[in-house]
Amino acid sequence: MSIKIIKKGLSDRIVDMGRYGYQDLGIQPSGPMDFLSAQLTNLIIDNNPGHPVIELHFPAGIFEFDATMYICVSGANFVPVINDKSIANNRPIKVGPKDQLRFLQPIKGRTAYLAFKGTVAAENKWLNSYSSFQTTLQNEKIIDIVPAPMNPIEFNDKKADLIQRVQSSLFNEHTIRFIPGPAWNDLDANSIQELLEQPFSIDPKSNRMGFLLNGPKLQLSTPKQYLSAAVTKGTLQLLPNGHIIVLMADHQTIGGYANLGQIILVDLPRFAQFNHQCHFKLSLTNVQTAHQLYRSTQSWFNH
Amino acid sequence: MVSLGMQNLRTKFHIHLLGDHAIVFKINTGLQEGIDHDLLALSKFIATREIVGMKDLIPAYETLTLIYDIVSFDSNPYLFAHKLLDAFIESTSIQSTPNAPSKLIEVPVCYDPIFGIDLQSALENSKCNLETLIQLHTEKIYTVYCLGFMPGFAYMGDVHKAIQLPRHAAPRNKVPAGSVGIAGKQTGIYPMNAPGGWQLIGRTPYKIFDANSATLTLFKTGDQVKFVPISIEKFHQLNAYNDVH
Repeated sequence: MSIKIIKKGLSDRIVDMGRYGYQDLGIQPSGPMDFLSAQLTNLIIDNNPGHPVIELHFPAGIFEFDATMYICVSGANFVPVINDKSIANNRPIKVGPKDQLRFLQPIKGRTAYLAFKGTVAAENKWLNSYSSFQTTLQNEKIIDIVPAPMNPIEFNDKKADLIQRVQSSLFNEHTIRFIPGPAWNDLDANSIQELLEQPFSIDPKSNRMGFLLNGPKLQLSTPKQYLSAAVTKGTLQLLPNGHIIVLMADHQTIGGYANLGQIILVDLPRFAQFNHQCHFKLSLTNVQTAHQLYRSTQSWFNH
Repeated sequence: MVSLGMQNLRTKFHIHLLGDHAIVFKINTGLQEGIDHDLLALSKFIATREIVGMKDLIPAYETLTLIYDIVSFDSNPYLFAHKLLDAFIESTSIQSTPNAPSKLIEVPVCYDPIFGIDLQSALENSKCNLETLIQLHTEKIYTVYCLGFMPGFAYMGDVHKAIQLPRHAAPRNKVPAGSVGIAGKQTGIYPMNAPGGWQLIGRTPYKIFDANSATLTLFKTGDQVKFVPISIEKFHQLNAYNDVH
């Protein structure tokens, strides 16, 4: 059983929940930009939430299936069609041999996820993870899949409720919350005020390594050099030009720019779905709140 | 070198949280040249404990960062970090082990202009001749302060003042794997073909990163590294790359 890439997308790739345990060797965790949608799309077809999926940015690729299998598309709405017939996001879809999946236009969000029933062949796995390491899916690539039992997939109220929760958590205009980092107090007072009051948007030059923010120009009270230290998903780094880059899924393991703070994990999927037209504000929060919110969203997947 | 006493160790480390899923142990005595042995010892101590929810442990210069999974990590991270530090201090007082000697890795480097494509400007910049530059670059034993930038890339220092070179303003699109470069006080080797802005002075025939080997990287944080100058003939004998013939 396999999925064939008929036409490659902008940067389609296989991801799972990331490759951890090797950051001390400079090996980045990678993983999905929007982990919530990756988990959701798996759950809709009764996969384990951390099962490998295909992450799509627009323009996304064209995929052909060689056998009957269940798939699901979640996250951004890129208007998915099977053989030119529209299919719904967030629903189990049964496809057959020679069926082609393509995406027509980006209507909502930035990153979509394609889940499928079955296990990705082990050749795609490295250091306990299927998350692509600097490789995207190319034309003619065939993803071999070890078939799963063809049990019928039920779409029930529980799934509908979960979809509702994830959608309202992903697509809303609340502020993006962060916890101040080691260089927060090195910002000058005016910059702190601007950062917390002015709107930001995401520059089109952004990618999976980081989102460049357009917004107020910030500066430190006095110029300062920092020794490189570990950074994480969501780290707000102040670049020498006064703008912020937010480190995303493919971030390097260490960074030497001023670390102003980190976006809390629960807000990262929503942030990852912002398109270039979105304007948003940053606001402060604390670790207790962040943990409580994250545990609460993750508990949706456990029962 | 002998470790500091218990009280000193307690005050030597500062603990802070990095966002909602990382803990940082930072030495607040300022980093001298060479990696801090207490920081490395703490890293080893934590690595050997089975901490539920720990995803990564990253030493770099003056910090040690522990990345954790929020759901499976059920303690207050700040209290947890303090308890962990206490346990470490306790263990050093019971068993006062001398610092394990760092591993010394010798790395052959060919300083031929064919590989050292920035040698000409490096020589003009440092106002020394090739022999002196090679001597200054190879006579020192460098410390690996951290790995980062890309898998296996070791930030080593400190480079002799005379041959410290600024990064290129615009990075090259492709630097061949094995290229040896200088950026400010640091020297390093590109583990894979990649864009990069370091000034290139030579190339090693050794593999620095191998995705299929058990150890993955030639270097680890805390290692000691010495470069050994080799001829182009020797480079070809040892060559592990297939873009050089």
